[in-house]
Amino acid sequence: ARRGTGTEDVGKTDTGDGKEKYRGLKDKRLELKKNHQKEELKKEVDLEDHKLSIKELERKYGTNIVTGLSSTQAAELLARNGPNALTPPKETPEIVKFPQADGAILCWIAYGIQYFNDKSSSLDSVYLGCVLALVVILTGIFAYYQEAKSTNIMASFSKMIPQQALVIRDSEKKTVPAEQLVVGDIVEIKGGDKIPADIRLLSTQGCKVDNSSLTGNLTPSLRTHDNPLEAENPWNKMSTSPVGTATGMVINTGDRTIIGQIASLASGVGHEKTPIAIEIEHFVHIVAGVAVSIGILFFIIAVSMKYYVLDSIIFLIGIIVANVPEGLLATVTVTLSLTAKRMAKKNCLVKNLEAVETLGSTSIICSDKTGTLTQNRMTVAHLWFDNQIFVADTSEDHSIFDQSSGTWASLSKIITLCNRAEFRPGQESVPIMKKVVVGDASETALLKFSEVILGDVMEIRKRNRKVAEIPFNSTNKFQLSIHETDDPSDKRFLMVMKGAPERVLEKCSTIMVNGQEQPLDDSTAEAFHTAYMELGGLGERVLGFCHLYLPADKFPETYSFDVDTVNFPTSNLCFVGLLSMIDPPRSTVPDAVTKCRSAGIKVIMVTGDHPITAKAIAKSVGIISANSETVEDIAKRLNIPVEQVSKRDAKAAVVTGMELKDMSPEQLDELLTDYSEIVFARTSPQQKLIIVEGCQRQDAVVAVTGDGVNDSPALKKADIGIAMGIAGSDAAKNAADMVLLDDNFASIVTGVEEGRLIFDNLKKTIAYTLTKNIAELCPFLIYIIAGLPLPIGTITILFIDLGTDIIPSIALAYEKAESDIMNRKPRHKKKDRLVNAPLAIYSYLHIGLMQALGAFVVYFTVYAQEGFRPSALINLRVEWEKDSVNDLEDSYGQEWTQYQRKYLEWTGYTAFFVGIMIQQIADLIIRKTRRNSIFQQGLFRNKVIWVGIASQIIIALILSYGLGSVSALNFTMLRPQYWFVAVPHAILIWVYDEVRKLFIRLYPGSWWDKNMYY
Amino acid sequence: MAALQEKKSCSQRMEEFRHYCWNPDTGQMLGRTLSRWAWISLYYVAFYAVMTGLFALCIYVLMRTVDPYTPDYQDQLKSPGVTLRPDVYGDKGLDISYNVSNNRTWTDLTLTLHNFLAGYSPASQEDNINCTSHKYFFQESFRAPNHTKFSCKFTADMLQNCSGLVDPSFGFAEGKPCFIIKMNRIVRFLPSNSTAPRVDCAFLDQPHGDGRPLQVEYYPPNGTFSLHYFPYYGKKAQPHYSNPLVAAKFLNVPRNMQVVIVCKILADHVTFDNPHDPYEGKVEFKLKIQK
Repeated sequence: ARRGTGTEDVGKTDTGDGKEKYRGLKDKRLELKKNHQKEELKKEVDLEDHKLSIKELERKYGTNIVTGLSSTQAAELLARNGPNALTPPKETPEIVKFPQADGAILCWIAYGIQYFNDKSSSLDSVYLGCVLALVVILTGIFAYYQEAKSTNIMASFSKMIPQQALVIRDSEKKTVPAEQLVVGDIVEIKGGDKIPADIRLLSTQGCKVDNSSLTGNLTPSLRTHDNPLEAENPWNKMSTSPVGTATGMVINTGDRTIIGQIASLASGVGHEKTPIAIEIEHFVHIVAGVAVSIGILFFIIAVSMKYYVLDSIIFLIGIIVANVPEGLLATVTVTLSLTAKRMAKKNCLVKNLEAVETLGSTSIICSDKTGTLTQNRMTVAHLWFDNQIFVADTSEDHSIFDQSSGTWASLSKIITLCNRAEFRPGQESVPIMKKVVVGDASETALLKFSEVILGDVMEIRKRNRKVAEIPFNSTNKFQLSIHETDDPSDKRFLMVMKGAPERVLEKCSTIMVNGQEQPLDDSTAEAFHTAYMELGGLGERVLGFCHLYLPADKFPETYSFDVDTVNFPTSNLCFVGLLSMIDPPRSTVPDAVTKCRSAGIKVIMVTGDHPITAKAIAKSVGIISANSETVEDIAKRLNIPVEQVSKRDAKAAVVTGMELKDMSPEQLDELLTDYSEIVFARTSPQQKLIIVEGCQRQDAVVAVTGDGVNDSPALKKADIGIAMGIAGSDAAKNAADMVLLDDNFASIVTGVEEGRLIFDNLKKTIAYTLTKNIAELCPFLIYIIAGLPLPIGTITILFIDLGTDIIPSIALAYEKAESDIMNRKPRHKKKDRLVNAPLAIYSYLHIGLMQALGAFVVYFTVYAQEGFRPSALINLRVEWEKDSVNDLEDSYGQEWTQYQRKYLEWTGYTAFFVGIMIQQIADLIIRKTRRNSIFQQGLFRNKVIWVGIASQIIIALILSYGLGSVSALNFTMLRPQYWFVAVPHAILIWVYDEVRKLFIRLYPGSWWDKNMYY
Repeated sequence: MAALQEKKSCSQRMEEFRHYCWNPDTGQMLGRTLSRWAWISLYYVAFYAVMTGLFALCIYVLMRTVDPYTPDYQDQLKSPGVTLRPDVYGDKGLDISYNVSNNRTWTDLTLTLHNFLAGYSPASQEDNINCTSHKYFFQESFRAPNHTKFSCKFTADMLQNCSGLVDPSFGFAEGKPCFIIKMNRIVRFLPSNSTAPRVDCAFLDQPHGDGRPLQVEYYPPNGTFSLHYFPYYGKKAQPHYSNPLVAAKFLNVPRNMQVVIVCKILADHVTFDNPHDPYEGKVEFKLKIQK
């Protein structure tokens, strides 16, 4: 009854109090939002609740730990604070992406102006405007569709099963969806559950929590209680509780949980523009610059040649249309998504298409340790007994150490018995290393280790019945249990203990050597310390083991052990041995790191783990190479103080979060440039962010790999965030641009290779696409200056850009690399541009010009054979285009009506179109390589190229012969022989380019190489 | 954009640009030293010279293959176009209107006709021969002087009342205007099998006003183009060739209303039903005579 009134009282006061608190929270949130981009956000998260007593908590949250909240209270709170779910990150409205084809929109507007100025002008312009608008919309939709498709894969991938929570409300236990939890709810957690919100523990029974997705570490660190991330209490949402049961009070929900705050930190980090987006933008600027300057130049020329201003504007538009590669957006998107598909097959799921290339230009990889470089699975690595260190490799033949020793027999018994972990039932057919275990990481490791070496652990435990147990806790730092022995003649109890080695040793007076107990003297203690230091120095977690046979006379079979009063001895035990565990690196990682090195990519480890462990793993995977030393190593080797060591001598550095905290950005820059091998240990999510920013200041393209929620801000900040697919948390996957489905670091290398290839191939695609722009542009220029009948119409140009050229330019994406792309340095973000001067110049002024000449030959041939010789065409434009001239004389004295001329003009368009198309085939072939000869590359190795060529020809045939009768398209049926007029020019282009490549190969670094290699 | 977005002040950028234009340290101008510029210019000059040469060669070869007398193809010239004089174009095609009582409205029209017929004066037709056969005038060899072929004479006086010689106002003054119809030249075109092509003018839709059909007087009589003007052998073979003409004098054009008249050429090989080309084998025009 007392409690009941208490609840009422609290309930009453709660309304005001709660509101206040709510307002406080809201303010805090507002503040958070305001400061998203500001440094304040990078401060550590702060929680006080774990320091309050239960009574204080009850008061603060207006709840009661026995009866829980009432349903009405809960509903009220839910309505006020919103559901216990993270706000999904905002997607950029896709419509924003549309104006990318701004050039085309400009044309449309201009045509609109023209239409309104002169309504009597032919409807062609309006029609063309519509076509252009359609092009813009279609390419936009297409790009959006491609993007959405890959995003959808992701969405389905990350969909979670709705979580349930067991909550006490109205004094009853109820199962409610985790989303409906409110602050003050009392929840019960069972082993294996995901913690649904931030909770403050009230009571627990042997319950541990795995915060690894939060801190990045395998087990919660016990060092400090000041930092809520590392404190034992409270527990945080998203953590899982592998063992035991617990009751707790919800203290934060939804976005206000620590997870939520990290997530908002992640979403607050602005996403950088991808390098390929920058490159495409740069390219667009070049093209736009060329288009606009040529356009304006000829506008001025046209006006000064006394053309009407309106006509001049039309010329301007024609020039711009000819210059804008309308199909490029679609091509790039398809090319990227093709690569994305290819990478997905290799278990790299790309969320953001542009990220495909980013990986290729990556110059620094900041990798998380746990779960990325390592297996996120503790494994026994070393044993020490009989004054000897043994290597325990459970993955291979397990008889590598001496198992005949009596010490091993005792040690194995302790390992088996002093362990609370168990296999989850029903996994008989699963290999031991893959079985699911209920228990914490170290106990799991020990269980698996003993299962592998000794066989059925459960059976052994059954034979040695457990009579009493003191579980591990952080004050004792040991775990103890008392068992009956399996020897029926031995009526003694066996007490086994494991724990922190120094603590265990304190309790021992003897040590077992070769199965014999010996007094523990200074020399053996010395040996112990040496071994302990050595194993610890390897970054391994060391446990000590000891036992004691309780004398049968003092502890008879019926003796009742009481763990609370400890009515049994816990000192003068017999020390048996040490065992060390490590989260071993993934087997594929060292090779992948080496490959990254040879590809010029710096791999930096950033972990929340202990520096020694971090360094050991870094050494074993090659992030710190075998022959490089840190300043500390040198100091130790030379036996001099650290300060005296010249920093130049050290290649590697291990930096802790504490040191990082005191560093200025300049010092960090210095650190990043001075050392080639760097390990950051004990870093917080905020510091990861700082490190990534530091790398980005070096003009590096930074990739971040990670799996935990704590990694998500850095994943977001990175140029490319790579999350682990299996071990990764949803927050990490959401923030990442790429997900490694098999958690295999080596997949990154594949990604880098694909990314570099796509960059090379995009270069080829763009070179291919740019070339014909000149062939499309020259007709306008000649038309304006020399007054020829228009050689090619705007619609025809669109048919090249969006018809015949699309498939071939995509086909270049299938081109194989010319040389080993993994042996060169990553491209410099600001120096190695996608479109550089030689590329533009060679495409525009060499091949493009040759193409234009070839196409003009076809054009002149058609006109000459139909009656208009080239000389007659010059300055014919005005008469030619006059509707009122229906008897225009040609070179033979024949007279032409306006429509007859128009039809001939369309035939000219078709001829010019075919001329460009034929030469684009040659262009396509030469673009297969940039340096090697086509014959070195293999003319037929890339079959898609030939599909592209076939498509080009077929589309052109359809346009000319199939749609030649549709007058709106301006195509006519071309006489067959005109298809071959440009062939010699096509061959000339091929020969010229082979000569270019030959000289580049013959004289590397020469004038030719510098000017002709793109 | 990223490169541009870097926070650089305007003066810094100008400085950079100036440095790009002229770099005193390396002697580079616009990214190249003077000698480098010379080299690259030399290369381009040579390259473009070769390209121009190749292009010229192509055009030369083309011109060598093209027959100077007859075009290789006449894909668009299956049927000749027809034109009208005087030719005043409105928004949609020929549109002629004038006021009988105001001679300023039609002097331009008659002037056009006078100018047009100037090419048919006896003096300008001097080099042509008189033909009377009314049959196709085939000439396989070049018998005329200067390695050419003969052309038949067509003089303005053949148009009699519409020649401008008898009535300088071409009937415009009396409201019975003359219009001259010309068939376009096509090399080696034979308009019909045996009968001469004939011009036939009529109201386009239904009879106007009092419902009577259009009354036309044709000159030369019957409105025919004599067959001896065909075939045409091209400008080079027949430099003095003049198109035969037919004049049509409309006698009963209703006053103060716009009528649409169509003049077709009736011949076996002349078509006038091309939906795209309004001037093929026929000519349509609007006529409005005010009083």
